[in-house]
Amino acid sequence: MIDRRDPPPIGRVVATEQKPATPHQFHFWTANETSIGIGAIVRVEGAGNREQGAGRVVYGVVTDGFAYSDLATPLHDVVGAEGDPAKAADSPTVRQEIRLWTAAVLRQKPEEPLQPVPLREVHVASDVDVAQPLRMDAYLGGAQPTAIPVGLYTSGGLEAPVYLDADFLLGPEAAHLNISGVSGLATKTSAVEFLLGSIFQHFPIHKGRIAAVCFNVKGPDLCFLDQPGALEDEDRRRYERLAVRAQPFERVRYYAPFKADGVNLNTLRTHPELVGDVEPLVWGLREVLDYAEVLLNRDDIDAKADAFIDFLSDRVVDKEFDDGFGGTHRVVTFADLERLFRSIFDGLELAARGDTWRTHHIATIRKVRNRLSNISTRCKGLVTDDGPSNDLPWGRFEDRAVYVVDVANVDPLGQDLVFARAVSKLREHLERRDLGVEAVVVFVDELNKYAPGDGPETYVKKMLLDISERGRYLGLVLFGAEQFRSQVHRRVVGNAGTTVFGRMDSDELATPGYQVLSPATKIKLATLPIGELMVRHPHFTQPIFVRFPRPAVLRGRDGVERFPPAADLPFDDAVVRQLVKLDRRVRPNLVKDLIADRREEDVRRALAHTRQARSQDALAHFTKQLGGRVAAAPALQRESVPPLTPISDEPY
Amino acid sequence: MSRSWVEAILAAGVVPASYVPDASVGRTDLEEFTGADPVEDAELRVHPLAEARPLAPAAVGFLDGIEQWRVVGYAGVTPIVRAYVAAAIRLRGADRRPRTIAEDADELAITRLDRLPDAVRAALEGTGVRIVEIAADDAGQPARALPAARAEVQGARAALERRLAERRLSSLGSEHWLVVDGVLSDSPALSVHPRALGVVKSHGAEYFAGPELERALTLPAAHRTSVFRPKRRGARREIYSWYLRLWPWEGNDLLYGLLRVEARAHADTVALASRVSAWLVSERAPLATPDRRWDRLLYPIHDVETYLRARAPRDLIPYPASRLPRTGS
Repeated sequence: MIDRRDPPPIGRVVATEQKPATPHQFHFWTANETSIGIGAIVRVEGAGNREQGAGRVVYGVVTDGFAYSDLATPLHDVVGAEGDPAKAADSPTVRQEIRLWTAAVLRQKPEEPLQPVPLREVHVASDVDVAQPLRMDAYLGGAQPTAIPVGLYTSGGLEAPVYLDADFLLGPEAAHLNISGVSGLATKTSAVEFLLGSIFQHFPIHKGRIAAVCFNVKGPDLCFLDQPGALEDEDRRRYERLAVRAQPFERVRYYAPFKADGVNLNTLRTHPELVGDVEPLVWGLREVLDYAEVLLNRDDIDAKADAFIDFLSDRVVDKEFDDGFGGTHRVVTFADLERLFRSIFDGLELAARGDTWRTHHIATIRKVRNRLSNISTRCKGLVTDDGPSNDLPWGRFEDRAVYVVDVANVDPLGQDLVFARAVSKLREHLERRDLGVEAVVVFVDELNKYAPGDGPETYVKKMLLDISERGRYLGLVLFGAEQFRSQVHRRVVGNAGTTVFGRMDSDELATPGYQVLSPATKIKLATLPIGELMVRHPHFTQPIFVRFPRPAVLRGRDGVERFPPAADLPFDDAVVRQLVKLDRRVRPNLVKDLIADRREEDVRRALAHTRQARSQDALAHFTKQLGGRVAAAPALQRESVPPLTPISDEPY
Repeated sequence: MSRSWVEAILAAGVVPASYVPDASVGRTDLEEFTGADPVEDAELRVHPLAEARPLAPAAVGFLDGIEQWRVVGYAGVTPIVRAYVAAAIRLRGADRRPRTIAEDADELAITRLDRLPDAVRAALEGTGVRIVEIAADDAGQPARALPAARAEVQGARAALERRLAERRLSSLGSEHWLVVDGVLSDSPALSVHPRALGVVKSHGAEYFAGPELERALTLPAAHRTSVFRPKRRGARREIYSWYLRLWPWEGNDLLYGLLRVEARAHADTVALASRVSAWLVSERAPLATPDRRWDRLLYPIHDVETYLRARAPRDLIPYPASRLPRTGS
């Protein structure tokens, strides 16, 4: 129950020569039994006009607490109890004790002149007060409010919504969010899911349309964002208090690459009821060649190889190309490229023209060929040798839609490729303002892996740095999560305007990056319960603890229990399922008859074309792409030639 | 009140001064042989308390007072003293935490009015501060005036404590006891109350001589003497008394940890002496440190004193050391 009346004072500011009150910090005492604790917001205000500092109101957040008695030395307690700890509790009088608190100033009113905190009464801040110290009043009201609920500040029976400023969370003033915490207990994914829901419901209309691209990098974490999760009454109450509807995301698009067989999706969202809306993520030569840098080992690829790759990209791929030996090529797929390479090698050998082709040495050409062909092998399922690609809907992003790219089971090389290409494409389209939305939140978990503070400069790390440093101007916002903030690249975490901490590891808290936090705040962070976070935001001069409701979506592990992943289907059944998804009229038996005895790569290519064409009659299109069956000619029986001499027993 | 009356007399021509006497040693017992009559035993004996079941009152009030004074000015050679006296009772209940249930404080000016210039006298009387005069014989020399002022301050404090105690006695519950820091025999009401105790830490008065004195002053820890009746002195009321040792004196001093307890002169006092003594021994913890008298000072009494000092005017307390920078000399 929220008490809107002015609460009675709970303490009084004290200052000594050793512990003076300053403009940024003060100390106050309370009764031994008090409702406040670390993280509580308090208000210092005088009772009367005659008190010093009258008219000045100071808001602070409790950062540390002390309790001590008038015991001069522990030895006196031992003497008093005659060395028996049990007797210590029998003393007829309890020693005088104090509860002394340290608070960091959040805001002073008036803000000028900035003065030490007056030595006056301390009140618990009411929910009405909370907007003032956190400077939320600047963006809560007005003609174009930009407040995004992030959680509830709770202390001593008081409860107040805490809002982030969309201009500072999603740009253009500041942007990006970084969330840290130990696995399992910090609820990082849940916090991001809740916050995304809150953003989608409260993103100001005047700021345009927004979407989110979430990379699912482990297990089923983000595979069920469209399914309702179990909520308790307390969660629903918190949703109501925050004015956020407790509902799963309305528009979620799932993308996952195929497995190596090229027909079964490489995701845990394969339950028959759900797999229908998972789009395959398939990339071909064009998509890969633009990001060859991601995939190729820098130790292998030197300047010469780089130049040859650029040559292929600029002059060969998707163009009519004369190989110089009389052949004309149009390279669209890896298979086309392989044909070109063979043509070059054969041409050089036959023409005896030495070992150089178009200024490129044959060794360089062979090296690039090896590396490129290796990509389609390592990323089989994501990268296709042949056939068209299937990609995210660039240019057709929907407002308030979540695009989940499931790369949890993809080879690390493939994950790098997916990150690099997806984010680069987002950037390109946002720069051209033709993505379909004005802002995109990119959620990347495991920044310790993708943007570590040390280690080699990878393409993914460079890309994450680029988003962190320049994304806010474009509307490209990075929501990153990691276990150990201290081990993420400093510029990635440093550029995050909003920082969120769940339960933290004690060793992590001992690193220099946390020196600004008081020991008590660190202890609180190390023991933070599930559902509570510490938030730093540009408007908040001190970190604030908030509680958020469980996200209204099905958690990954609950999802795989309710919707167990289906076992991989045999090749023909998987093809049937994909065609049925495109056209419900497709009859499975017809498809199975059609593909019987066909080469799997031919079937995959036809299927990819059909998927790309989105034809009204999927089966007809598939049949046409598959082409006519060429009946196998019976092997001619060779007439045997009788030996000149009959076979004898003679062994020689 | 506070400094306003001081400023008034300074404006009237008093020469400002700042003399803070040594800290009060509290009320002292008389320093003479008075003698005592046996009550419990024919002669003073030692009673162990090991077997005694400590009395466990539901609630106990502890009464103490403080005094602070300083010379604020001189009119000629006549000192004008600003004094502050306060007393409080803090009741300790079932939660073992003392809480103030009664307190009183007084500020007074101590001087000799007829030695003051008219302007100063008029200014002083005009402020409304309570004025206490020292005897005319003591007013001439500061060496006599200041002890006289000290005596007046002590008297004012004792009177304040007595008034507070007597005011509170009537509302004391049937299970409530009152422990007074000092003698009971000053007060007619206190000295007959069945649940009032006086705890005396100073031992100027001599009630015994010879072997009985030795027995009293070499009392082992957690032992008491027989109950005796001090001989009446002046206006003091009849009470019963006994010695009680809180801490072993060996290795320290004869008076180390030695208390003298006063209670009403009644047969019940004798019956309860061991149980009351055992209770007081249990009050050794917590120690009343950092007070130097901790061996005899009960913690709740120390607590009352701390409370009163925290509420006393800050300008009467001398700084522990000069805050000015040291000079070359």
